[in-house]
Amino acid sequence: MNQNKKAEFKLLIMRTLSYACLIFLSLLCLFFFYLMILNASHSNAELQGKWTFAFGTHFIENLINAWNDASINIPRGLFNSFFIAVISALLNTYFAALTAYGIYAYDFKLKKIANAFILAVMMIPSQVSAVGFIQLAYRFNLTNNLWMLILPSIAGPATYFYMHQYLEASLPLEIVEAARIDGSNEFVTFNRIVLPVMKPALAVQMIFAFIASWNNYFTPSLLLTKAEYKTVPIMIAQLRSADYSKFDLGKMYMFILLAILPVMIVYVFLSKSIIKGVTSGSVKG
Amino acid sequence: MTKEGIVAVQDFNLDIKDKEFIVLVGPSGCGKSTTLRMVAGLEGITSGKLYIDGVLVNNIEPKDRDIAMVFQNYALYPHMSVYDNMAYSLKIKKLPNDEIDRKVREAAEILDITRYLDRKPKALSGGQRQRVAIGRAIVRNPKVLLMDEPLSNLDAKLRNQMRAEIIKLRQRISTTFIYVTHDQTEAMALGDRIVVMKDGYIQQIGTPQEVFDHPKNLFVAGFIGTPTMNTFDAKLIKDNDKYFVEAGGHTVELSAEKSKRLSDNDVKSQDITLGVRPDHMQIADNGIDGKVDVSELMGTSSHLHMTAMGKDCIVIVPNSGQNIDYMGKDVKLTFSGNTAHVFDEEGNNLEFK
Repeated sequence: MNQNKKAEFKLLIMRTLSYACLIFLSLLCLFFFYLMILNASHSNAELQGKWTFAFGTHFIENLINAWNDASINIPRGLFNSFFIAVISALLNTYFAALTAYGIYAYDFKLKKIANAFILAVMMIPSQVSAVGFIQLAYRFNLTNNLWMLILPSIAGPATYFYMHQYLEASLPLEIVEAARIDGSNEFVTFNRIVLPVMKPALAVQMIFAFIASWNNYFTPSLLLTKAEYKTVPIMIAQLRSADYSKFDLGKMYMFILLAILPVMIVYVFLSKSIIKGVTSGSVKG
Repeated sequence: MTKEGIVAVQDFNLDIKDKEFIVLVGPSGCGKSTTLRMVAGLEGITSGKLYIDGVLVNNIEPKDRDIAMVFQNYALYPHMSVYDNMAYSLKIKKLPNDEIDRKVREAAEILDITRYLDRKPKALSGGQRQRVAIGRAIVRNPKVLLMDEPLSNLDAKLRNQMRAEIIKLRQRISTTFIYVTHDQTEAMALGDRIVVMKDGYIQQIGTPQEVFDHPKNLFVAGFIGTPTMNTFDAKLIKDNDKYFVEAGGHTVELSAEKSKRLSDNDVKSQDITLGVRPDHMQIADNGIDGKVDVSELMGTSSHLHMTAMGKDCIVIVPNSGQNIDYMGKDVKLTFSGNTAHVFDEEGNNLEFK
């Protein structure tokens, strides 16, 4: 009896400690978002003055100012980033899944070499191949063209790797054979049988690809020079290097908030799929 | 259907009649599944010819062979409902919706899965999933229905039940069945003819009765029938037209029918392996000396595990209610001349050379 109570007490302490720890860590993570929203609600003058925890009254004003900024076209930037990120994410995941399926499901000569080659590509950082890529873009006169940022995302070795692992864990080849006998051709089988099985993996990789593209600064900064093609990260960099005397901090925080918002929305709506995707494969259906 | 000379399957020549139920049976790795997959078109045929309904199909895609297949692990499409699983092949064929609906419901009716049509495979038990897999196959009314160990993922009770269902199913849909199993009981129960395979070679083709009564070689004799056939080293003695087997100092005259077959094959006196099924051996006053090691009560009969002539063997004795305790006793074994099988040194049945 006494022993039981002791164990109960121990458990309670452990629980309290771990929850306290988790709550602290969560607050630590959320604090920066709070700070950002807080700052976005203050005017430039307030931000230069004494710092406060309370929300300001200039949120809407900052939003209007940022949206209508003459030198930096934020709506356009958001649209460009969004356009590139969405289409890149779709192409990246679809073709990575297709490649992974091809290498997983079919037996052909050089299969292992093809797999090794794709993984070798993953080892090369994009900065290394950027020189050649930029030269290519200039020679073909394809700078200031959003498609130049979208099309290369078709080849995503890291995504391929993930998809391949996922298929190995969750797609028995009998399903493909059953579809083959049922009369569907290989491409239809992929689109109608294999893709739905891969849904969790697709969701996870789509989020990752979207965020990677949304945050990508390096290649766009080399390719996009005209204002109307610029993406959000380039614009933020531009803001940072702007003249301090004319600088409106409230507007800037608002802009950063706007830049992060789409990523947050994506996470909120797809977090279920992310968790599913991370845990899938370990549990048999 | 004919097919010859493959690596996993060495020499396979079989003519399956229309609407016949053929069972391929053998230990794992004997090439039975490979054979089935070749018929399905999932595995390439290196050499030889495969005809379905008179058409050479070696180079025809699985989807154009007009076959259907049931897999061991069901292979249902996990994201589709039972209805969609069954309708998939018909949708691919672009049949009109009302016809698809009619066929799916008809097949569901046969298999008694109508109430599960809206469920996903995840929400079904193993037996129900296997029914859906069978439903998916029969909904197309294929020329040949291939089944690759369809019952081996089910528990023993369900397996017996599904086995009976397959027999019933066969009476309701008329098509040719090719059924692969490693379970000889299933093979005996289901097949019109069974094909016993080992290491890619056909060992024997015949009706279950033929294969059981007249195994062509020691492998078939040992594989078909439980408990396994007992074997002893023995001598075959020819005396004019009569044949005798002598084992452990005990001599039994072979039946006239067996003797005739042996003399037709011009078999001479020689050392042989004698095979007798456990249910064909009796305990008698004189015969081969044996010692009972273990006695297992099975209900209507007892299985006596014993040592005779230095070999382990099993004898089944009926329980007459006398409650004889055989454990540890020395007994004498005998058998009759029409139940003895004689095999030569290579293990071939001397009656059927």
